[in-house]
Amino acid sequence: MTSGKKTKAARSSVAAARSSVVAKKPKPWGTIIAVVAVLALAGTVFGYAFSQISEQNAKEEALAQWTPSEENKDPSDKIAGVVKVEYEASKHVDAAQRVAYDQSPPFGGPHDNVWADCTGTVYDKAVRNENMVHPLEHGAVWITYNPDQVSGEALDKLKARADGQPFTMLSPYPGLDKPISLQSWGHQLKLESADDERIDQFIQSLRRNQYTYPEVGASCESPNFDVANPPAFVAEAPGPDAVPMTGGSDAATQESGTPSASDAPAATSTPGS
Amino acid sequence: MVDAEQEEVTPTRGVTATRAAVATVAVLAVLLLGAAIGLLIKVPGSDTGSTPPRDSVDVGFSQDMSAHHLQGVQMANIARERTADPAIEQLAFDISSTQLEQVGRMKGWLFLWGFPEQSSDGRHMWWMTSSTHGHSAGGSGAGSADPEQAMPGMASPQEIAKLRTLSGVEFDVYFLQLMLRHHQGGAPMAEYAATHAGQNVVRTLADNMLKSQTGESTYMQQLLTERGAAPLPS
Repeated sequence: MTSGKKTKAARSSVAAARSSVVAKKPKPWGTIIAVVAVLALAGTVFGYAFSQISEQNAKEEALAQWTPSEENKDPSDKIAGVVKVEYEASKHVDAAQRVAYDQSPPFGGPHDNVWADCTGTVYDKAVRNENMVHPLEHGAVWITYNPDQVSGEALDKLKARADGQPFTMLSPYPGLDKPISLQSWGHQLKLESADDERIDQFIQSLRRNQYTYPEVGASCESPNFDVANPPAFVAEAPGPDAVPMTGGSDAATQESGTPSASDAPAATSTPGS
Repeated sequence: MVDAEQEEVTPTRGVTATRAAVATVAVLAVLLLGAAIGLLIKVPGSDTGSTPPRDSVDVGFSQDMSAHHLQGVQMANIARERTADPAIEQLAFDISSTQLEQVGRMKGWLFLWGFPEQSSDGRHMWWMTSSTHGHSAGGSGAGSADPEQAMPGMASPQEIAKLRTLSGVEFDVYFLQLMLRHHQGGAPMAEYAATHAGQNVVRTLADNMLKSQTGESTYMQQLLTERGAAPLPS
């Protein structure tokens, strides 16, 4: 309080004197605290927003790579090891018929009228191929595993991908040449490990991808398919009377025994390309 | 504490410096907050496709095909109730569930775009007579702008009523005949939209409908043949 007179004197003095005055002047703490608080608040808000946005962007970028779009209709093209085959859709057979599939497990071609339930369904036993191919046409992903090679924790990881996940189903596939194989319509990826990141990439790229499955909007619910006791997988190779890959839709013709049914299998065992 | 005496003695340079510091910090804070808000807010319309105009193929197709599909769902539901044939029942479930899902897609677009589910004046197919760039002199002639005229392939109320009275193979055959004609009638609409719609989602769905319903039509023709029947005369 008494500094007043001194500062008055100092005002007209040299720089040295002025600095001593500044040191003696009471700090405007209120202003300083307010200013620091506002700056800290603004900095925190900005920092939070920035980190959130960049995290989100990174996440979206990673996901976008596997999300189908007009520019990226089939993201699975970028997944190493995916096998693609063009199949004609809507070719049906009945419950008594077998199809001479060109792939194992099959991922396209003629199939049973009655599709297997694919409402996030885990099948503990292997199911008849002709029923399992049909859901692929509806946009489902079918995860298969070799029951001799995959069990325990690895199997649990696969179950987590299918159980309760619409348009996904899981089933054992006896004799599978790799531990794991993923199928969507016209696409297959065989893998060694349930930890492979390509499992999620495959599912994101192809499950209900409007550009890659033939019947957009079709259902996974299947009232005429017995989920609790589905038709069993047949391990034996189909006989010469099986419906060829190019046949199928001609279910009526096949049944009535026209020549196309009997001479086709030998000629048409070549897989598509 | 800060009394008149001190204010009086405070060098004006000090006051200016403080004010400048406060002003700088305030500006900085406002900039930071503005930047944060800018990051959090997305520019409207930047992440969605543009809305097609009211007279576009996209809107017309979505409105007309929804109505067309709903009759398909209706006939399929009748079949699920009345047929004793597992093949027909399976086909009917496939048609009703798939087409209802597709109706949901098309109506969802209409709601997003802010257009009614169906055209207010009851006209159908107007979007097939105009080209994508406004009016075309002659029109392609594929559509009908007459409100009284039903869309191609639609069953009349009398036909639906007759379907409800039938049973057994007689029912199955008539259902297949009506549904086959319905599919074939919708095909030109899907074909037109698959090439003329402005929105990618619309073109993609229309193209998919065309392909999957063509396959289904072939299947229904076979089912008719198996039952010793033929399609309805066109």
